[in-house]
Amino acid sequence: MSAEISLSCDRLERYLGEEEERVHALRGVSLEIETGSVHAVVGPSGCGKSSLLYILGLLDTPDAGRVAIESEAVSHLSDDELAQKRNKFIGFIFQFHFLMEDFTAQENVMIPMRKLGELSDAQMRDRAAELLDGVGLGDKLRRPSRHLSGGEQQRVAIARALANDPRVILADEPTGNLDTGNSERAFELLQNLVHERGKALLLATHNPAIAEACDWVHEMKDGLIIDSQLRTTRS
Amino acid sequence: MTPPLYIALRFLTHRKRALLLSLSGVVFGVAIFICTQAQTQGFSRYFIESNIGSNGALVVRSRFRPRYEPLMVAAKNSKTTTNRRLYFEGITNPNEIMRVSRQFPDVISCSPVLRGTVSARAGFENATVDLYGIDPALHARTTDIVHQLIDGSFDDFRNNTSAIIIGSRLAELLQTGVGDTVQLLAPNGEFWRFNVAAIARAGIGSIDSTRIYSHAKIAQALLQQPSGASMIIYKLRDRNRAPVLANRFETLFQHNALSWQEREESTLQLFLTLRMSVAITVSLIILLAGFGIFNVLTMSVLAKIKEIAILRSMGYRRRDISAIFLWQGALIAVAGSVVGCVLGALMTWGVSHIPIRLRGLLYTNYFLVTWDWRHYAFATLLALLAVFIASYVPARRAAELPPVVTIRGSR
Repeated sequence: MSAEISLSCDRLERYLGEEEERVHALRGVSLEIETGSVHAVVGPSGCGKSSLLYILGLLDTPDAGRVAIESEAVSHLSDDELAQKRNKFIGFIFQFHFLMEDFTAQENVMIPMRKLGELSDAQMRDRAAELLDGVGLGDKLRRPSRHLSGGEQQRVAIARALANDPRVILADEPTGNLDTGNSERAFELLQNLVHERGKALLLATHNPAIAEACDWVHEMKDGLIIDSQLRTTRS
Repeated sequence: MTPPLYIALRFLTHRKRALLLSLSGVVFGVAIFICTQAQTQGFSRYFIESNIGSNGALVVRSRFRPRYEPLMVAAKNSKTTTNRRLYFEGITNPNEIMRVSRQFPDVISCSPVLRGTVSARAGFENATVDLYGIDPALHARTTDIVHQLIDGSFDDFRNNTSAIIIGSRLAELLQTGVGDTVQLLAPNGEFWRFNVAAIARAGIGSIDSTRIYSHAKIAQALLQQPSGASMIIYKLRDRNRAPVLANRFETLFQHNALSWQEREESTLQLFLTLRMSVAITVSLIILLAGFGIFNVLTMSVLAKIKEIAILRSMGYRRRDISAIFLWQGALIAVAGSVVGCVLGALMTWGVSHIPIRLRGLLYTNYFLVTWDWRHYAFATLLALLAVFIASYVPARRAAELPPVVTIRGSR
């Protein structure tokens, strides 16, 4: 039985830079990410992992090729429509967590919910508290984000990525800035969320242990996926 | 509260020094604008009130007859118009003109005046004076003369035909007071004796230093004038309608009619020029405040470049990002305008209590100010406009920032 495809791309091409510094970052990358699966993209720095993530996350547009969310192509969508898709369907986790410094942990998690506008203020607070509790920060809701440790900030970023219950989570080296213990905890947390709540996760990583624990591992080199391996088979 | 407003509030309140800098610019710009306008308009309005209170909003003077001389044609492109009227001194049939005038809804009341220049003598002092022969009852209804009295009684004047009211500075010049005798020199060389019943202060130097009021019949006999009135002065419901009404009266009565705006044109232009000059100077202060806000918001965009990228990655649209910075400007403008209006009112109140002894064009012991809501509205509007322009460019720049470039750069 074939699983439902949450996110896919077909023959993506992307050039970066201008004139002499122009680089062919993606050279026809195709990928399908099924619901409930964890995909890792590995490869050396500059191989195109992040470029692929930004295009799949609708933050950047490809020079050629197509991206589809749940089989719906997004190339024809306006900037506002793409923003709406990002808000509703995609959760981003960055290596440097990128929290809003002027806000507390709870308020950071509420920011995507405020944009979606489907919940009342009290409901948003409750959901943010629930999500932060889920990542072990239930006691630090009102702490300003800049007063949290690196591991705690990354966990807030994970909770924030889940704020609007997105179908797809894209993580760009989510554990790259954490120690081994925090890396393992953060990854486990994501893995459980994907498997239990039926999300799709695509992460770019340099960490072989994390890559090994993913359902799929895609190896990239010079803007191409040179190898894709299925690591685990789940029922 | 919309998400951009919520975020704008937080951005603002977390940069207190920048917020204070921006706010103080708007606050002081608005306050100084209000205070200076209140002062300049205060002097101007006092002059207008006093002038209309003494001389009426509209004056009908000499009768004229059109000159039918077809050969008198103005030169081509000439800006000067050929005078096509013959003037005759005095009002012909003043009672009929007043009767018809009162039918106009704009006219509250009117009063005939016989005006002439005579010499006055009191003790050893002499002065040339402007004699106004008036009907006390009508004049009291048409002008503010009763309120202008600083000594004596209007009733004493009304009940005694040989009584006069004398201008305050003229009284000082002649060294005379209520109850004293002043002699006026008739054209036949005869001195007429009058009792000073009251002293009036219009607040305008040129009136207070020259004017004497007497009963019209006595003035007519003294001046040996055949006509009982050389002009009719009017009190209007809306003083701004004076020019329109003057035109109507000229056509209707074939007498020269002059509105207060035309009569005091040169002085009013002086006040207007002064007001404009101050307004331009203070507007520059507000623009400077706007420039300060432009700098603060531009710095804010640079400081929040990472946050902008995060918000975009979370689904905030370009216009949301733009709105965050426009809201910051709007919040500064609104808060700055409100505080600026309060400070402006306090400054105006303070200035109105500064003692100043003016005895020239105007008479006053304190700075004159006007309390006009339009000053506050205009200052607020100016501040809003300046801040909007100042916020627009940084807001646009923030919206145009490609998030992926920032995110890549942060790696």
